[in-house]
Amino acid sequence: MASNGFPLFPVTVVGSWMRPKYLLDALRKREAGQLSYQEFNEVADRAVLEALKYQEDAGVDIVSDGEQRRDNFYSFVVEKLDGVKLMSLAEIMDLVEDKASYEAILRQADAPAFAIHNPTVVGKIKMRSPLALDEYKFLRQHTKKPIKVPLPGPYLLTRSMWVVGVSDKVYPSQEAMAADIVDVLREELIALRDAGVDFVQFDEPVLTDVVFNRGVKERTFMCASMSASSGDPTKELLLATRMMNSVVEGVEGVKTGMHICRGNWSRKDEVLLKGSYEPLVPTMMGMDIDQLVLEYATPRAGELAAFGHYPKKKEIGLGVSNPRSDSVESVDFMVEKVQDALQYFEPDQIYLNPDCGFGTFAERPMNSTEIAAQKLATISQAAQQLRKNYN
Amino acid sequence: MGAGNPAPFTQTNMAENIINGVNVEEFKKAIEIVGSNPEAIHAPKASRVRWMNGLKFKAQVRNHTFIVDEPAHLTGEDESPNSVEYVLAAYGACLATGFVINATKRGITIRNLEVSLESTQNNVYNFLGLTDEGHPGFEEIRAKLFVQADGVEEELREIWEHTIRSSPVHNSLTRPVNIKPELQVF
Repeated sequence: MASNGFPLFPVTVVGSWMRPKYLLDALRKREAGQLSYQEFNEVADRAVLEALKYQEDAGVDIVSDGEQRRDNFYSFVVEKLDGVKLMSLAEIMDLVEDKASYEAILRQADAPAFAIHNPTVVGKIKMRSPLALDEYKFLRQHTKKPIKVPLPGPYLLTRSMWVVGVSDKVYPSQEAMAADIVDVLREELIALRDAGVDFVQFDEPVLTDVVFNRGVKERTFMCASMSASSGDPTKELLLATRMMNSVVEGVEGVKTGMHICRGNWSRKDEVLLKGSYEPLVPTMMGMDIDQLVLEYATPRAGELAAFGHYPKKKEIGLGVSNPRSDSVESVDFMVEKVQDALQYFEPDQIYLNPDCGFGTFAERPMNSTEIAAQKLATISQAAQQLRKNYN
Repeated sequence: MGAGNPAPFTQTNMAENIINGVNVEEFKKAIEIVGSNPEAIHAPKASRVRWMNGLKFKAQVRNHTFIVDEPAHLTGEDESPNSVEYVLAAYGACLATGFVINATKRGITIRNLEVSLESTQNNVYNFLGLTDEGHPGFEEIRAKLFVQADGVEEELREIWEHTIRSSPVHNSLTRPVNIKPELQVF
């Protein structure tokens, strides 16, 4: 048993799980205004319980609700925030002059404009209801396991929700909007902590876009449609750090994490980003969060040696399984990954998880439930083997 | 409507009358009228394109006009697409139109539909007078139709294949056309 109350090498998920067909049907009806949010949630309750069962059967130690109530990992905030409207890229492209940059996003995403929905700031941001507290409360009633709640990170929301031609009619600057986003996420983190959530994970996949597309000022796609950045990676990473630290400052009693990946919207690896986390490690270390949830199951993530120059002060949620492949990685493969990580992290600092969620976007599952369940079960087997070796 | 086996209009469709925003009854009548007129089989069309200034042109088709321009890097004013881009987009629009018609005939409700197109030309330097090699026409066109509809995937694939076979623009791009250019100096 590790000092944090979890078993050594706890097995967890990054968040999302594939949506069953009946849930997708309900989601479409919800989007078409044929179902109320409450009616949709009643359908989603069943899907959450199914997602939970898959995780519990696979031996997952820290479970999530599979993000079954969400259209995707970040756009669900439109249901909870005033001043934010879910717009498809098709709608946004009708409003903005720079249509060509959106076309480039769609090519990169290999997706139609109608399928990508972007929460867009169209008014002053104000919390209408907690972002994920209802998700947690429902799940808490149905499991005794520790629970992870993923939330979109502050930098992700700031980049994604700002649409020039729409949002700048409400806020004088992106920075002004960012301050309201920080307030909302901090309030949510405290509410989740007070309710007893074990682990809150902030998703910041766009940070890899900042360092791998250095100097790119145009709007980009990185699991979400992103507004143009300053084009200065240093400035952007400082902003991301400042925002994250403002969200978590002084909030004790809940584990916090940050998930960074290189994209999880396509099974075509060539359209996803690749490269080492190395240029991001200083930023990660500067953030006052407990755990870095990172992908390491494929070569595109680079080497764990990127952490070699830093003190062992953070936990790692080590990605040991690719959510986008049909083949299930072996126990030996996963154990070797952990053994590699043990050069840079203590045993009780290492958590095991897939590289990313299995259903980041409701309409674009990255795998079948059968293979995803096998992958989770194999991670559990790897954890059990490691516990024998290191307990 | 070209080759293939167009599906009959179903009773359900006729009762509901409007599917995908298409009035099925009216569309059926329109098809019957066109089908009973042998002169319509060749669907004669006419267009006129007038030079405005620089590399900008005004095209007229029936009572519609639209601008054809070149991008700024070719010294156009980039007010509108150029000719080749219109052909590419026309191909996408033709496929989309055909898909909607064929799905509607089968009573399939479409929620979203989008065609993504990409093309390359054999040698655009030929058009720009930089070389005599190759030709400036299309080398390859990739067209991908994204659709969300109530039909099962197998049926949607059948519709897609029929749509391609029966697409006027697809056939225009893939079959030789008897073109008769002529010059008259005024």
